[in-house]
This record gives sequence, structure tokens and C-alpha cells, in this order.
Amino acid sequence: MKHSFALDVENYELWLSPGQHGYRLHLDDEVFAPVSFSHELDGSGTLVIASDTIPVKFAIDGDRLYLHIRGRTYILRYRDQLRTLACLDDQASHLVARAPMPGVVIATKVSRGDVVSGGATLMLVESMKLEFVVRAPRGGVVERIHFGVGDSFERDSALVTFSEEGR
Amino acid sequence: MQTLPFDTVLIANRGEIAARIIKTLRKLGLRSAIVYHDADADTPAVSMADTAIAIDGCSPIAAYLDAHQIIASACRAKAGALHPGYGFLSESAEFARAVERAGIAFVGPSSESIELMGDKIRARRFVQRSGFPVAPSAVEEDDPETFPSRARALGLPLLVKPSAGGGGKGMRIVRNLDTLDDAIAHARREGLRYFDDGRLYVERYAENPRHIEVQVLGDSFGNLIHLFERECSVQRRFQKIIEETPSPALSPKLRKEVCEIAVGIARSANYRNAGTVEFIFDGREFYFLEMNTRVQVEHPVTEMVTGIDLVAEQLHIAAGRPLRLSQSDIVSKGHAIEARIYAEAPERDYVPTTGKILMLEYPQREGVRIDSGIVQGQQITTAFDPMLAKVVVHSSTRRDAALASERVMRELVLLGCETNIDFLARLFADETFLSGQIHTGYLDENPHVAAGQCASDLPAVLAAAALLTRPVRDSADAVPTLHAEIGKWRN
Repeated sequence: MKHSFALDVENYELWLSPGQHGYRLHLDDEVFAPVSFSHELDGSGTLVIASDTIPVKFAIDGDRLYLHIRGRTYILRYRDQLRTLACLDDQASHLVARAPMPGVVIATKVSRGDVVSGGATLMLVESMKLEFVVRAPRGGVVERIHFGVGDSFERDSALVTFSEEGR
Repeated sequence: MQTLPFDTVLIANRGEIAARIIKTLRKLGLRSAIVYHDADADTPAVSMADTAIAIDGCSPIAAYLDAHQIIASACRAKAGALHPGYGFLSESAEFARAVERAGIAFVGPSSESIELMGDKIRARRFVQRSGFPVAPSAVEEDDPETFPSRARALGLPLLVKPSAGGGGKGMRIVRNLDTLDDAIAHARREGLRYFDDGRLYVERYAENPRHIEVQVLGDSFGNLIHLFERECSVQRRFQKIIEETPSPALSPKLRKEVCEIAVGIARSANYRNAGTVEFIFDGREFYFLEMNTRVQVEHPVTEMVTGIDLVAEQLHIAAGRPLRLSQSDIVSKGHAIEARIYAEAPERDYVPTTGKILMLEYPQREGVRIDSGIVQGQQITTAFDPMLAKVVVHSSTRRDAALASERVMRELVLLGCETNIDFLARLFADETFLSGQIHTGYLDENPHVAAGQCASDLPAVLAAAALLTRPVRDSADAVPTLHAEIGKWRN
């Protein structure tokens, strides 16, 4: 079974298979072997990939994985196959403006039923004492506004849901 | 140090600056008391303080702005002095007065100096009257009717600012006069929201200037000295990210000139305690920007090159003593650079981020000072400013300090909350930054620094992720070895 990890804006599909010395990593059409990870103290360990030995620091929080490898930090999200499938149906007919960062709603500029064009201002939000504009990702009809003035939200929260015009 | 007339100092602040002040109090054998909101209960400053008193408010920030609760806490802790840190009430003249009225020494300037310098328009007028240079400007309240036309007459580009501003809030650059009205409306809205003050002024904006500031110290006896300049040109949204001293832009002659202007301004204002006079430098002239009547976030770079503990000097001055240092005692050695670690994503237009700090490891190296207000396990929320810590590196040359800073950024491990650490490492390795050719538009002109690189170790990163994720291992373990060896087999 293929597994999916999101890193920055990219999705990567991969799978592991057992090999003679550790596992084999299947990534696109490439195979890296052997790969293994030995745990040391809390949150650190050593990764072996082909002939490389790389010290790694890591922390896991739910489906998020934080890695410190060769002086850089990576934040990955493990995308559970079943959950991804369950969301597909919803996403097909709806558009959602999501929060680029956590914050608080200062003002909403649209109401339910409004027809808006792509780039239209939907909300003014405040985060860390700065004001940001949330814009419509595409044109559509406002179906639901998920937060009211003064409400706080987390990153990636759905702020406004649209249905496509005429649908 | 001679014995001071107080033995307990209350810190009306939080985070890294509160922890930093406590370190000096300990060194001087003074007791520390701190006020804290519940959101900060597990932070280093609260555990370091000898006495910690909880305060509350309708929001965490509101608690730290509640002068009444803070002064009552200071009395309860029998504090003889109060250090306001930076931000919050540090530049409130009313608060300084109330503290003094309660019989507590305010570690800062007189309330009159705060009043004079806290209002940007009043400060500019004062500085101009005293014979020092300010940028050409139009002040709305001089004649609101003609304000837009006076602003237009200054010529493009323009910078619209709230009069009571700070931290870059509400500031807008105008490069096309059609957008002036929008910029004015925006600045007024933010001014009203953050400072409860809708007054504005417009300044002629120097394109790509440098931000140069001078640290001054004054006592109650008219003695005033400077501790050289700091350059803080690397900014985003008018907020500083990197500060350094000495400035790579100044010749000895220009350095002397700006330091003398700063001392002159502070002297005209009868300034007492530590303060910073900020200037815009267009390559030829220095224009007064504002004076900050408190300890600055970036004060450690000055401490590193001069060897002087600015907080200790602040306490000494607040105790009513004359300066212990004369101008000739102040010598700057080597180069120091400070980098601010923020909970933000430079790759996504510097949006703030949140999370729980799951792992925190600071490298320990010679010449590296880390002022941190966070601990492992702490939740980073949007309740406060996104600055988490400051990394200060002191070395013999600017290039060495920058390269050592890059090394620290690569070694520092902070997991659980997205930060600008990788961005800072890229910045310290950037040739333009290393050349010293920086200005306030440097990050806009060099978008590659914020944009980041694609993962250089992608297979290693994904291998580690796969091996650390149980469902991925489990499905591999469920595959018989023989089938796996066939290679193209798919589940």
C-alpha cells in the first residue's frame, strides 16, 4: 500500500518493503536500500539510507512529523489514506477559503448567498497584531461563513465555504 | 557596584526580556519579583524569579497592561524599583508617574521625557526645533483640510504613519498618489485600533534607506554618553529581524556624526536612563525617526561589543546615582549580530505560526549568547508577539560573526512550531548580506532568501518520515519478504 506525506506544498507517495538489511524505500520509480532507523535518546536517532549514515532529531505530534536533518528543519504531515478519501466527496463540489495562519476575525465582508469573484475580500483577520485580508480563492456563491467577528481560529481552518456559481 | 537603595525589583514584563533582567538582578545580588498571566505560568522567567505574582485580565496582553494590578503587585512584593522591559507599559508616561507616586523607582526616563518622545509628532517637532534633521513631512493636525494636498506636495514616494505608532503598525508606503487616500484610511484604522489614536502624518520616504540607531545613557545630573550605533536594516513589515554593530555602512567620520547627533538630541530632551535614538540614513544624511525611551530588543549587540551590562546601568541610574562611565570608557570591540527567532513562516509571506515546542536544543559556543523566553513543552499561541528568542554572536569581524550565526542556526533544534530559523541560516549565507550592502528593502529585493530551497535531502527526509510512522512500517512488515523482493509488486 502506498503512503502519502505532505512536505511544504508537495505530496510524496512512497512505501516501504522489507529487505535483507532493514527496509527498502520505494519513492516514485526509485528504490533506496537498505534504509533503517536506530533510536537513541528521546527524539534522536540515526538514519541509514543506502551508504549514508545521518543523525536525525525528531518529534511527532499526531499526524505531524518534525525532523531536523543536516541543519534543516522539515515539517511533514502523514496523510492517512482513509481520511483523505472521506474528504474527497466534500471537496469536489465545494470551495473553501482556509486560514493561512491562526488568528481572530475582525470583520466579515460577505454574507451567505453573495456571489463573489475570485480575489474578492471575504474577511479581515488579525494575527499577531497584524491585519490580513482573506480573499476568495475562486468565484462562487457564499454558502457558509464559519466564524464570526471576534472568533479565533487555527491554521487551515475553513473560514468561508462556497458552492460554484450555477451549481 | 555600590549598594542600591532597593533590594527587590519588580519586572512588569514577560518572555526573554524578563528572564534577561532577572539574570542581571541575580548578578547584582538583588531580589526579583515578576507579575505573570496564567498563559505564562510555565515560562523560564516565572520560574527564575524569587517572587511571582499572578495577574489577570480579559486577555493575556490586557493583564500586562493593567497598571493598577502591576503596581499593587510591586507593593506586595515590597519592590523598591520597577523595570518595565520593552513594549507593554514601558513607554507609558502615565504608568511611569503612577509607579513613582507609589514610591517605587521607575527604571526608565522621567514621565516628561516619555511624553515628549512617545508622541512621534511632538518628538519630531522638538528635534527639528532643537536644530537636528528630520525628513520632510506633513502633519495632519496642523491643518486637516489641507493635509492630503500638503502630503502630495512632498513628492513620491511617501510613508503614511500613525502619530502614536510603533512596531510598524499602520505604516504604508505610497508610490502612486491614487492610493494615498486608501493608505491614509488604513493607517487611521490601525492607529485607532492599536493605539486608540487616529492622528496621522506623512513623511517623504527615502527608497532603500538604512536604519541606524544610537544607544545612549544619561543620568539625573545631565551626564550623557553614547554606546555607539546599531544597524537594523534587515526588516520585514517595518519590523527588525537582524541587528548588528558596528554598522557596515559607516565610516569613522559618519559614526562620530550620528553618535553626536543622538547625544545632542538626548541632551536637549534632558534625557535620563537608557534610550535609543533612531535614524534613517540615505547614504549621505541621517534623519531623525524616533526615540525609544526604554531598553531595546536589540540591546545585547551593544553589550557584546562594549562589555557593558545595560540593565545594570539602568538600575544604577534609577537609583539616582551619577553615571559610572565616561565617554572615553566606551570602546567597541569586534562585531556582534543579533537574529530574532520568530514563530512565523518567511516562505509564506511571514505569516505567524503556532504550535507546541516539542524539542528545544540551543548550541553552546564561545561568543554566542542566546536570550530565550521559551522552554520545551511550551505552547506558542497568537496571544503575544511571535518573537521566541534572540541569538547574538560576537566575533572579530562581520563576516566571521555572520558565518558563526549561520552555524548556530543550523545547529539549533526547535521542533513542534514552524519558525524562521532555516530562513535565518539562508540569510547569513547570502552573498548580498555578507557584502554589507543591506537596506530596509533588502528582503523584498532578494526574495530567494525568504522563498527557501527545495529539500536537498529529500530521500533521507522521506525515509526518516516513513521509518518513524507506524502505519508505514506496519504495512511493510505485513508484506512477505519474497514478494517485496519482486520489486514492482503493489498492494
